Parts: sequence; C-alpha cells; structure tokens
Amino acid sequence: MEYHNAAEMNGSDDYLNICKHNNLCREENDSNDSADANKLSHIEKAYSTILSELGEDVDREGLLRTPLRAAKAMQFLTKGYKETTQDILNDAIFDENHEEMVIVKDIELFSLCEHHLVPFFGKAHIAYLPNKKVVGLSKLARIVEIYSRRLQVQERLTKQIAAAISEALQPAGVAVVIEAVHMCMVMRGVQKMNASTVTSVMMGRFNDDPTTRKEFLDLTIKK
Amino acid sequence: MEHSKHTQYASSEKKDPLDPGSVFNGHFDGLAERPAGGTGRAAAAPQPPGGAESGSQRPVMESWREERTRSVEDNEMSLPSLAKSYTTILRGLGEDPQRQGLLKTPWRAATAMQFFTKGYQEKIIDVLNDAIFDEDHDEMVIVKDIDMFSMCEHHLVPIFGRVHIGYLPNKRVLGLSKLARIVEIYSRRLQVQERLTKQIAVAITEALQPTGVGVVIEATHMCMVMRGVQKMNSKTVTSTMLGVFREDPKTRDEFLTLIRS
Repeated sequence: MEYHNAAEMNGSDDYLNICKHNNLCREENDSNDSADANKLSHIEKAYSTILSELGEDVDREGLLRTPLRAAKAMQFLTKGYKETTQDILNDAIFDENHEEMVIVKDIELFSLCEHHLVPFFGKAHIAYLPNKKVVGLSKLARIVEIYSRRLQVQERLTKQIAAAISEALQPAGVAVVIEAVHMCMVMRGVQKMNASTVTSVMMGRFNDDPTTRKEFLDLTIKK
Repeated sequence: MEHSKHTQYASSEKKDPLDPGSVFNGHFDGLAERPAGGTGRAAAAPQPPGGAESGSQRPVMESWREERTRSVEDNEMSLPSLAKSYTTILRGLGEDPQRQGLLKTPWRAATAMQFFTKGYQEKIIDVLNDAIFDEDHDEMVIVKDIDMFSMCEHHLVPIFGRVHIGYLPNKRVLGLSKLARIVEIYSRRLQVQERLTKQIAVAITEALQPTGVGVVIEATHMCMVMRGVQKMNSKTVTSTMLGVFREDPKTRDEFLTLIRS
C-alpha cells in the first residue's frame, strides 16, 4: 500500500514509487467495479453482524438500511486510497517567478483513526517556498483530502502531505501543521473534551532557517 | 436479543389518556398541581404483570422498566464476532489488516463501539433511585452545557453536542449529576436526535413528576459534516417542552434565556 512507502518517504525517488503504485491502482480499478460491489456487500454484512452483536434490534425501522448506509459512509471516508497526487496535480503546476512564502491555512480536515475507526478532525495549515513553480491553491487542499480520507495516524498524515508537495514541486521548503481533535480521546478512553493534538513537519528552508519558520508560525497559528 | 428501547417507548402509549395525572406519550394531560409524593398516582399508573415495585410509594412508570438488553457478559461474548466483522470491513476497504497499525484495530474498534452503545446496559432506575430528595423548592433548576456524545443510527458515525436541561420541581429535586447521567444513558446508544431529546425529558418527568421539564439539545452530526452534504458549521437543535414549559410562554422564555447566557 502506498502509505507504507509514504511513511518512510525521504528521498525524491519515492514520487516514482507512488507513480508506479498509481498505475497499478488504475488498472485494478478498471476491472474491479464488480469486485467493488462485492466488497460493499461484505462490508454491509459485517455491519449487520455488528448491529445485532451490540444488542440492537436490526429489524426496527431506523436500522433497516443502516448496514448499507454505514458501509457506503465508510467507503466515502476512506476514498483517499483510490486517489493519487499525480491525478490532481499534473495540470495545475505553473511556472511563476515567485519565491516568497505561500500559505494556505485553516484547511478543514476529516480523517479516521486507524486504531479505533473513530473520526478525528481539525485544521491543516500548509506553507511552501516556491522554486519558480507554484501550484493551484485548491490543489493543496485536495492533497490534504487524498491523504486524510484514509485510516490514518496524525503523524503520518502530516508527513505524507509534506512529502507529496515536496516531490511534486521541488520547492525550497514545505511546512505542514495539523491541529486536530481525536474523538477516540474525547468520546471514550480518557474523555478529555478540550484536548487537541498538534503535529508539524518542516522541510527545506523551514527546517534550516528559524526566521522562515517563525514567519510561517506567526502568520498561521492564531494566538 | 431483547428488543431495544424503541418498543418500550411505544408501550407507554397504552396508559389511559383520560387519567388526569398520567403521562400520555410523554406529554402532560393533567394539571400543573399534583400531590407531592405521587402516592395518588401509584394506583393510576398501570401495573404490568410482574411489576417489580408495586409496594413502593414511587409509581413505576413503564419506560423505567427498561429491559436490560446487554450485560457485561454479553459484551465479552460478542467481542470475537464483532472483531471478526471489523476485520472484514478493513479488508473490504482495501486495507491490509496485518500491517502493524491495524493488527489490534478490530478488537479496539469493537470495544470502542461497545462503549459507544453502553447505554443499552444501563437502567434509569439504577442511577436515580437514591438521589431524589424532598426539598421545598419550586423555582427553575437548570443544568446546561452537558457534553453529549452519541452515534447516528443511520450511518454509525458520531453525533456530539450539548444538552441543556431545566425543570420546575414539585417539592422533589434530583441530584444534579443525575441529570447528566440520564443524558449519558440515552445518548450512548444508536440514536436519532429527536428521540434522544424526548427520552431525556420523559425520563425526568417520570422520575420526579415535576411541574414542567425542558430539554434542548444542540449537536453536530458528523454524517453531515464528514460526508454527504459536508456542511462544516451546521448544527441541529431539538427541544422538548413538557408541562408548564409547554403551556406557559414566560416560563419557556426564562428557560431559553438562561441557557443562552
């Protein structure tokens, strides 16, 4: 799976790895529409079992179509597995003589904790220092979507977003900060309502130059 | 498996609607004043065969007698099957259940889901019986901003928000945390926000026979935020007003103003 490679991403050849995997995915998708429907019915049956094991009455009106709805919802929440950065970015990279910081902040983010299958959500702030190549701004948000609509761990999510931008644009620096609330901590377990988790990845000049990093943080993190 | 609260709620409609003091389908038909102690109503409330507390002074309302649908042993016994279902789901989504991060996920997700539906294991009567006190107080009591977490029964995705409860005691008050516990019992289930609001209001009504009860819930539904229409900032507000909260606009206004302040 792509995320395996992504988790160890550090070099520039990883983008090629993603490309290879993307091609495989596409071929599989073409011939797998019926397999998709098959998978949906497996997931649906699993949810039926879950409902009855939880002690609910599966025949009551409100729950009649819940297994199907829950299965479709889960597929939507993990649709990032089928999407690739290459698909969305290829035609939106422009040559622009710009080398100053570009920030897109407060990008809403919704993901699923891979440990409890419970949502976590929050905001992502992304900044990069273009190296004569800029990317369409919505594409940064789309990259967040691709990687967040998966079973994730917030640390890995942050790193994948940073790596994807880094490899697509070869900028002078990339910074990604994610601040999220984890329902697995709020709704269950320790049950801390107001706790949020912040992770950040700084690459290139954001890592090396403290003033650049400070500028990014000042412009992004509301006090 | 026993039928869930849905059928018990329906059974409350069997009460005689002409009885002036009875609670019919959760709505007060009777007068605001009723005898303190509620002994007069013990005869009015229909005693089901095998009703547990015919000798007690407190009337046993049918929706109190919630059949416990789950026990701790049930939980342990269903865990392997739940975990197996979650493994199927992981595979169906295209994930690799054998990778390190997902190895124990089926068990964790199963236990989490059981926690999110632990309301099925609990009964109101266990939580409330010893926290009702006779107090010469008939002014409004409000507990607001009670954090609430529930599960949408249509998509199995979280709902979370706040509950505001107000009631006008009729010489009987309830331990304040018990209001929050009532919220917990009913919210930790597969729910619909409208039903949840009503169940909380009815439970308080039946426990205390107050002059009136008001419950307002404002919540965010992840099924609307994370998927579907994807409206990030939308909130759903539902309310149930019973007794004098429903009949007297000034009381209702006072309640709504105080919960907003």
